[in-house]
Amino acid sequence: MDWLFIQDIFRQMLVGIPLTLELTVVSLLAGFVLAGLVQALVSSRHGIIRRPAAAYVELFRGTPLLLQIFLIYYGLGQIDLLRQSFLWTLLREPYWCAVLALTLNTSAYTAEIIRGAVQAVPPGEIEAARSCGMSGLLLRRRIVWPIAIRHGLPVYSSEVIQMVKATSLASIITLNEITGITYRLASDTYRVIEIFTVAGFIYLSLNFVVSLVFAVVERFLNGHLADRRT
Amino acid sequence: MTSDLQQAARANTAAVPAISVDGLHKHFGTHEVLKGIDFQAHDGEVVSILGSSGSGKSTFLRCLNLLEMPSAGRLRILGEEVGMKKVGSSLVIADQRQVDRLRTQVAMVFQNFCLWHHMTVLENLMEAPVHVQRRVRGEVRDEALAMLERVGLQDRAGFYPAQLSGGQQQRAAIARALVMRPRALLFDEPTSALDPELVGEVLKVMRDLASEGRTMLVVTHEMGFARDVSSRIVFLEQGTIAATGSPRQLFGGGVSERFDQFVSRFNG
Repeated sequence: MDWLFIQDIFRQMLVGIPLTLELTVVSLLAGFVLAGLVQALVSSRHGIIRRPAAAYVELFRGTPLLLQIFLIYYGLGQIDLLRQSFLWTLLREPYWCAVLALTLNTSAYTAEIIRGAVQAVPPGEIEAARSCGMSGLLLRRRIVWPIAIRHGLPVYSSEVIQMVKATSLASIITLNEITGITYRLASDTYRVIEIFTVAGFIYLSLNFVVSLVFAVVERFLNGHLADRRT
Repeated sequence: MTSDLQQAARANTAAVPAISVDGLHKHFGTHEVLKGIDFQAHDGEVVSILGSSGSGKSTFLRCLNLLEMPSAGRLRILGEEVGMKKVGSSLVIADQRQVDRLRTQVAMVFQNFCLWHHMTVLENLMEAPVHVQRRVRGEVRDEALAMLERVGLQDRAGFYPAQLSGGQQQRAAIARALVMRPRALLFDEPTSALDPELVGEVLKVMRDLASEGRTMLVVTHEMGFARDVSSRIVFLEQGTIAATGSPRQLFGGGVSERFDQFVSRFNG
């Protein structure tokens, strides 16, 4: 084992962590906001609103993220109207193309997670809230959302972990996040086993921290599940 | 614990029924569940609503605070007409804020307790008074703790519902209803989901409330409670009031053949 070499590539890869985290966090935040909107549309009573939103979810869950990145990065540039608009200043940057693809992708999954979490709120507890004079935003804010968050959080933690890994696809459009750096190192040195193993270790460590954070938050929220007398 | 103020309020409004319905109809699709019910509950009355399953008794109770929307009819709570408007062929709530306000006045106790599981017992009790009625948190807290003591749960304030037995959960749910200071309490089969040995503790709390002069409407299968505690029986059959009167009259027999048959099935 060549520890010096491993230390050297490890240090070089660490440089990619901020970009990996930035892509993850920015897309997750934007994706969550978008997901809330999509979910609201999906649960509409009117088919004319509900069906396009449902189609959006199916489209982005049903096609590979890599294709979505290609279409956005290479495809959008062929639309003249877009090239002439102010949006082009953003969309000609690979960074924003990656953020856009990741955001759209996670928003579709997250919309489904939110829908499932809200549906799992026991109808009796909502009815009890109504019978106590709650309705509209108050009912959602005090009863529905707090219960839904507790249902949705374990599923959402998987989505966050998926997203950390999904950012590696941004390397294909020239972004130097962890995988981008890893790939360059591998093609420079051909020491494939060490390099990809170290990269895997870095992703594993990042996701371990993600799991830990969610476990702590869940423990904090789920006092009602703990067999603990307060 | 009935205060002088409450008694004075009752005396002033004795003429106005706490709850009053005229011509209440309810159908689900083509199935007619309630076929024109006229009913009044006055302050201090304890009304037991009896009937075999499918007679519409739960639906009737749920119409009284609009958890179920009537298909036709008028509903007045504390003399105030509840606004309903027609959309298509069904009625909908006309003014949500009025309904929200009146619902705290006719508090509901459910068969399955329906406590909010993510909150402690004390938080369950304080939720509506603080966030719906916008009363002062500290005062509500004191009142909630006092109410827990009344139902024998003073040492369970910090527990979560899942840590309580069914009987304890139902007593907590009754306390949650009481903290809203309602004018009437609606009980929807409050002991039907309980193990037999836990029924007694809930019935005892309800007896205590009845003896205090609380206005209560109770859908129940507990014949003992109906006979001994209630001031009036309403016997529903196929969506209409088939018999009504004091427990003494009805349980004495001979008033309604159908009621006698119904009761004999419980004694048999």
